[in-house]
Amino acid sequence: MSELKVKKPSKIDELKAMTPKDRNRAIGDLIMNNAMFIIIAIAVVGIAIAEPSFLSVPSIVNIISLTAAKLPIALGVGGCIILAGTDISAGRQVGLAACIAAGLQLTTNKLFPGLPVMPWYVALLAVMAVGAVVGFVNGFCMAKFKLHPFIVTLSTQLIVYGCILLFLKLGTNAGQTLSGMSQTYQDLIKGTLFRVGNTAVPNYVLYSAIITVIVWVIWNKTTFGKNMYAVGSNEEAANVSGVNVTKTIILVFVMAGVLYAITGFMDASRISSVNATTGLNYESDAIAACVIGGISFVGGIGKVSGAIIGVLLLQVIFTGLTYLSVDQNLLFIVKGVIILVACAIDMRKYLVRK
Amino acid sequence: MKKIIAMLLALAMVLSLAACGGAPAAKADGEVAVFWYTFGDTYLSSVRAAMNEAFAAAGVKYQDYDANNSQTTQTEQIQTAITKGASALVVNIVDASSDDATQAILDMAKNANLPIVFFNRSVSEAIVSSYDKAAYVGTDYTMAGHMQGKMIGDYVLANYDALDLNADGSISYVMFKGQEGNMEADARTQFGVEDADAVLTAAGKPALVFYDEANAAKYLLDQNGAWSAAQGQEHMQTLLSKYNVDNGNMVELVIANNDDMALGAISALQAAGFNTEGKTYIPVFGVDATDAAKEKIADKSMTGTIKQDAVGMANAVVLIAQNFKDGKPAFEGVTGDLEGTWRINIPYAPYTGE
Repeated sequence: MSELKVKKPSKIDELKAMTPKDRNRAIGDLIMNNAMFIIIAIAVVGIAIAEPSFLSVPSIVNIISLTAAKLPIALGVGGCIILAGTDISAGRQVGLAACIAAGLQLTTNKLFPGLPVMPWYVALLAVMAVGAVVGFVNGFCMAKFKLHPFIVTLSTQLIVYGCILLFLKLGTNAGQTLSGMSQTYQDLIKGTLFRVGNTAVPNYVLYSAIITVIVWVIWNKTTFGKNMYAVGSNEEAANVSGVNVTKTIILVFVMAGVLYAITGFMDASRISSVNATTGLNYESDAIAACVIGGISFVGGIGKVSGAIIGVLLLQVIFTGLTYLSVDQNLLFIVKGVIILVACAIDMRKYLVRK
Repeated sequence: MKKIIAMLLALAMVLSLAACGGAPAAKADGEVAVFWYTFGDTYLSSVRAAMNEAFAAAGVKYQDYDANNSQTTQTEQIQTAITKGASALVVNIVDASSDDATQAILDMAKNANLPIVFFNRSVSEAIVSSYDKAAYVGTDYTMAGHMQGKMIGDYVLANYDALDLNADGSISYVMFKGQEGNMEADARTQFGVEDADAVLTAAGKPALVFYDEANAAKYLLDQNGAWSAAQGQEHMQTLLSKYNVDNGNMVELVIANNDDMALGAISALQAAGFNTEGKTYIPVFGVDATDAAKEKIADKSMTGTIKQDAVGMANAVVLIAQNFKDGKPAFEGVTGDLEGTWRINIPYAPYTGE
């Protein structure tokens, strides 16, 4: 990496100057390092050839908006994975947030009879607070009791699910689906941001973009972000160099909890119908997306752009196979293969570095 | 400090034990043990609420158990409940396709000489008939599909020209299937269309056409098998990006295996500018008649659903359990369609608003 350079040759000059063997290796590395972009490009081109409408404006807007809806949860999980951990309570946390958000926005409230519709920011702050508390519990147990993240979040996943079931039984609701939320809340999330031709781009795309920028700044430009990477790559070393490991772990999980809460807040309105299955299995897609995007389970490695690429790739595949009218069951196989391939490439990079 | 934590933990455990189940913690004599395949199911939550009420009204002690969709958990719960001294077993079996699981549970009841009532999720006649203190309360699982098909056929026939948006003489539809390998889902997917077609062709109209010619299965599937609103929304939004009014191939009819998926589809339709006042109306049909769906039918964004009678089912179960206890014939005084000597079916009813 750090050879002395007289002048900075362009990539192409470099390639020309190499022996054929080195050149092949350099090209191979280039392909490997950008494998996900290449896979997305191949997928898009392939699907578009078979089904040209895949590249129409409505189709692109659809993919972008579905990607935007799933990005915050992936970013939350991403932080946990960078810590060399994971978070399998993510989906249920989204579900709990969605239930609470919906519960505070119902026009005829069966959970809390007589409760008027709360202002949307009250609902948002409430779910963020709940998310932060769950995240704190996750992080605290991990940092203080040195428990494996899988165990801790497995426990909180169950606890949160129990809370969802109890919450839905409040008042006269008896576990029923929550629906019929205030128009202000609906417009806030689903309202039109702008139009491309005839196709409306929903507001939540903007919110998701803002959140992504904030997360990028936190990960890359703050001491906390740098500490997160340090703890993830080597906890002992981070500790010795004066990083407050406990605080860092707790904060990463609190941030994750808040991001799940925001996902739930958007989902309740986006889907307009919330029940105990809301959020089910979201974490598996989010974890898959992070891994595909190169956020490594090894710890300390991963970028915001990786999470975006991962979510986007899964969405392109899902939408693409639907456009191609492929047997729905094949989707599982395709997803599985992609995750395996992505992890294999990811591990290869890591081994080379080592 | 440690002592305080230990005390708190112990207290929390005692409290959580006391909080389990809706019944006062009994001395374990004579309580009816009710086993649910999952507390997360919307329809069964309303059955549970009704059943708890009916047991309380009859002055019978009861205890609810949640198997959380695991047959192993449920079988173990039943074993424990018998040891604890239950007076009767009421079982909503998890693995409806496994005779072995049913047989194992029935044997346990037989050995303890306890009456057992299966309900909602189907069990085989041969097994239930082999024990004189066993009965089954179910529904004719094909009936919801047939009723939905008839309802759709009648509706489409009455509004044919208004529904045919692109005036090509036929109505295109989409079908949302909740789960693979579930008899009810299979039947609803099949008869929801077949019976509608029968009504249409009898009146000299062409049969319904699946919106996507290339999709041989003729349905879109919930990838998680959870019959969820989230998947209904995602599928609908994705297909609307390709099939819409601008392209002259708009889907003109939406059929879903249950109300949650229908509600998800409505959310996507509304986001695309349909099914609100003064906008183009795409009829949407579901099954279950959940409260949320009834509200959508009342505000005219949904067309119809099929009512599963939760209260009727709960009352039948409670009455049969009482009959066994009092030594009366199992089905005495129970309302429903008797089938042989082993089961009673609670009828469905179409619902298109009060």
